[in-house]
Amino acid sequence: MLKLATKSLLNRKVSVLLTVVAIAVSVALLLAVERVKEQVQENFANTVSGTDLIVGPRGSQTQLLLASVFHIGSMTNTMSWASFEDIASRREISWAVPISLGDSVQGLPVVATTDGYFKHYKYANQQALELNQGRWFEANEQAVLGAEAAQQLQKNVGDSLTIAHGSGGLSFSEHDQHPIAVVGVLERTGTPVDQAVYVSLETIETVHGIEQQHSDEHHHEHHHPAESISAALLGLKVKPLALRLQREFNTYDAEPLTALMPGLTLQQLWKTLNVFEQTLNGMSALVVLIGLIGMLTILLASLRERRREMAVLRAVGAGPVTLFTLLVTEAVLVTLAATLAGLGLLYALQWSLQGVIHTQTGILFSLNFPTAAEWWRMGLVVVAGFLLSLIPAWRAYRQSLSDGLTVKV
Amino acid sequence: MSTAAVELTDVKFSWPAQRPTLDIPHWQVEQAGTMLLRGASGSGKSTLLSLLAGVNTPQQGKIELLGTDLARLSARNRDKFRADHIGYIFQQFNLLPYLSALDNVLLGVQFSKQRRQRLRDPAEKTANDYLTRLGLSQRQQHQPAAELSVGQQQRVAAARALIGAPELLIADEPTSALDADRRDRFINLLLELSNANGTTVIFVTHDASLAKQFQFCTELSDINRVTSSLAEADDA
Ligand SMILES: Nc1ncnc2c1ncn2[C@@H]1O[C@H](COP(=O)(O)OP(=O)(O)OP(=O)(O)O)[C@@H](O)[C@H]1O
Ligand SMILES: [Mg+2]
Repeated sequence: MLKLATKSLLNRKVSVLLTVVAIAVSVALLLAVERVKEQVQENFANTVSGTDLIVGPRGSQTQLLLASVFHIGSMTNTMSWASFEDIASRREISWAVPISLGDSVQGLPVVATTDGYFKHYKYANQQALELNQGRWFEANEQAVLGAEAAQQLQKNVGDSLTIAHGSGGLSFSEHDQHPIAVVGVLERTGTPVDQAVYVSLETIETVHGIEQQHSDEHHHEHHHPAESISAALLGLKVKPLALRLQREFNTYDAEPLTALMPGLTLQQLWKTLNVFEQTLNGMSALVVLIGLIGMLTILLASLRERRREMAVLRAVGAGPVTLFTLLVTEAVLVTLAATLAGLGLLYALQWSLQGVIHTQTGILFSLNFPTAAEWWRMGLVVVAGFLLSLIPAWRAYRQSLSDGLTVKV
Repeated sequence: MSTAAVELTDVKFSWPAQRPTLDIPHWQVEQAGTMLLRGASGSGKSTLLSLLAGVNTPQQGKIELLGTDLARLSARNRDKFRADHIGYIFQQFNLLPYLSALDNVLLGVQFSKQRRQRLRDPAEKTANDYLTRLGLSQRQQHQPAAELSVGQQQRVAAARALIGAPELLIADEPTSALDADRRDRFINLLLELSNANGTTVIFVTHDASLAKQFQFCTELSDINRVTSSLAEADDA
């Protein structure tokens, strides 16, 4: 039966192949939507762990989170160093790491921070950052590079680089007079940490200070490493306090602040994007359906020219049920082949675009084994193909009964 | 049990929403006999063969094949009975175009365990033997059936109908697409091979000149009480 179905399909190579391609592309699309969603979410979720709260200037939580951790978008406001010190000194706080954003090295984000970042920042499963080479910066005008940044800038320990004000790549003023020494390169993490350049807060102040040298002389009178920062990452001694503290910081007296819990804010973000995702899902499901209907069409069209074939099979002893099964088998073979081809196509696309996506977005799409959700989708496609095949199969069944052995063309 | 391979009693059949096609009080074919069934076009010859093959069932009457009353069998078992005991040759388009000649012959035993068991040699070898005896070269045997000539196709169909030695061979005008010379040779081969197996042959045609090659000859109009004046007219 299987052999018969295969040979019959091979006999109609061209139309069958086109159908397989159409369904395969649609299946790849359907799987891609799921895979992109899943991996983006996983990637994002993997990026911060161990940080209980993020505090920054008043604004949208999503924006604060995206800017402070994922280096996506920019922050126009800052929070004062005084507020940071106040918050950091609270009893409930176990550690506090200030970060200052807004500068770049050839388009890569510069994160100005303290050595607390290296100590406390955790990603994935509470994994700490590790150095691949060199050490964390200890002094002014030293920089540590994320793994990807080191590769893109083609810099290593001992090289020097210059920081541009602003996040754009080329157009802003760079300061060759302020070379900053690379003292360390981080181990790869598969998160946006890899894309960034890390310097001390003082380094950034110096870069900015030099810039404003003529207009602002009394810059170094303060003991603060910085006047203001972009955000602070906080670790709590008692995790369940996060919600209460978040509320407190959101109603902070001295200046308007926003506090967020990374996991929760991410979930809210996904919820907002859900409509979008569902739309994509719906559209790709429709595309799959169109592919399957294409298959239905060729199966139905073939029935007329195959009346003879059916009569021959009847004559050698095949029952109408056998013919029914034959058509269902053909359709299932086509959908199965198409679904596997679609999966293959997905992997091929992923494999070829992986590099580009990683350098552009910092998201590493890993070529992992299909997830349960993906198997589900593939299963649904095959089931849909099976269900649709019942239509031509039923017609073949009826036809073989009414034709009997006396087929007239 | 009678000695008849095929015996019809009071069989009445009409296609859905049509006036009766067949009404046969009695007809029988001897075991191992060769029977030529003649009738005008549209007189119901193919319809009768469908009844014999168990693909259609008469509204009335009894059809006994090899001592089995077809009406007693379920549709499924009639299909199985056909696979086991009947070889069938159509007028034309007997083969699955995408299978090789050899695979088409093997179809004859694919749906029947009984016929496979009756083979003395492996099915492939038997099919190969038959085709060789019917004059198809090795290369032709492995060609897709669609690439064979009409005469070759009919010979492949004969091999398929005869493989596994079914008790009954039904041929529905298998020679109508052949010229007189090739027709006679085809019929001789067919009768010779079925004789070797002891197979009963029912051969349908509208051409009366073939009668001399068969033991028996029946005019459908002699056994069928339905007279289709229209059919007689367009045959004349
Ligand atoms: N599958 C079918 N459905 C409905 N009516 C049919 C079917 N097959 C045959 N008939 C009708 O039954 C009658 C007899 O047809 P049949 O094919 O048995 O004739 P025939 O003797 O084999 O003719 P021919 O020599 O031309 O093959 C015709 O009137 C035809 O219209
Ligand atoms: Mg006919």
